[in-house]
Amino acid sequence: MKTFPKPATIEPMSQRMTVAFPYKRSTGEIVGRFLAGLRDQKKIWGLRVSRQGVVVPPQSYSEVDAKAGGEWVEVSQTGVVTAVAEVTRPIEGLHPSTEPFAFVLVKLDGADTAIAHVVRTKLDRLRVGSRVRAAWAPDGERRGTIRDIEAFEIVD
Amino acid sequence: MSEPPKERVKYIDTNLNLPYHYYAGDYKALYLRALRDKKILGSRCSKTGKVFVPPVIASPESLAPCDELVELPHRGIVTTFCVVNVPVIGREIEIPYVVASVALDGADVSLYSLIQECAAADVRMGTRVEAVWKPDGERQGDHTDIRYFRPTGEPDAPFESFIHRL
Repeated sequence: MKTFPKPATIEPMSQRMTVAFPYKRSTGEIVGRFLAGLRDQKKIWGLRVSRQGVVVPPQSYSEVDAKAGGEWVEVSQTGVVTAVAEVTRPIEGLHPSTEPFAFVLVKLDGADTAIAHVVRTKLDRLRVGSRVRAAWAPDGERRGTIRDIEAFEIVD
Repeated sequence: MSEPPKERVKYIDTNLNLPYHYYAGDYKALYLRALRDKKILGSRCSKTGKVFVPPVIASPESLAPCDELVELPHRGIVTTFCVVNVPVIGREIEIPYVVASVALDGADVSLYSLIQECAAADVRMGTRVEAVWKPDGERQGDHTDIRYFRPTGEPDAPFESFIHRL
């Protein structure tokens, strides 16, 4: 085998690339109806499940005792922020915004669990404990996804 | 209304994109640029003499430096392989096709590559293969410069000759 002479200097080599995972997910019976509620009714539905209270977004069993089934409950469109992660340098294609925003958990009034979403405005005032309200995508632009709620906005 | 709509949303598209800025490092940069010149580079362990391809700066086995770069032949042995029967987005190859570990002659580890120009059922552990390159002027210095390996038609290599080079 021939030795390959090593050059004195090696020019760096780099490449930008995007790894894409184009998933199509089946929603299931419960989440599918929750999403239809966002799109068609502009309502946020939870499911009251065994020993766990009202779960939003809903799932078809209790995380406490694994019992199936529950009762639909509409929860409020306002709630309280229970966690904040501010993204000051969003990455295009990865994050749901190209402007600085924050991931938040929001415990809606009437719910016993928090829903993950984003806050895009008044970030300087955003705290754990802030009161926020759902802001909806316009009629005709809601597609039956969690983004039918465009963001949560701080309530003054 | 005391319930969400009965007519549910059945599917959601969740397009996850992970944008990377990948830096090759010295040896990988040399390896990729050499492919453009139709050369396959490896590196030799200063302690054990084992040859790694693509080249590594230190042996993952002995941890000794692999200072010497070597040019490998374009022929080798299918050490192990799988037959792909499921189409994958972004890979426009007629199924079934074979992806194999190919131990180049003189190398102590294998490269992954496609095997083409033969039926999937005709690939065996020990099949002797050779690289098929993109033509001059079309090679960009990336791993697609070797389009695939194809059988040479020579007799199969004996099991003992490659079993430690998977």
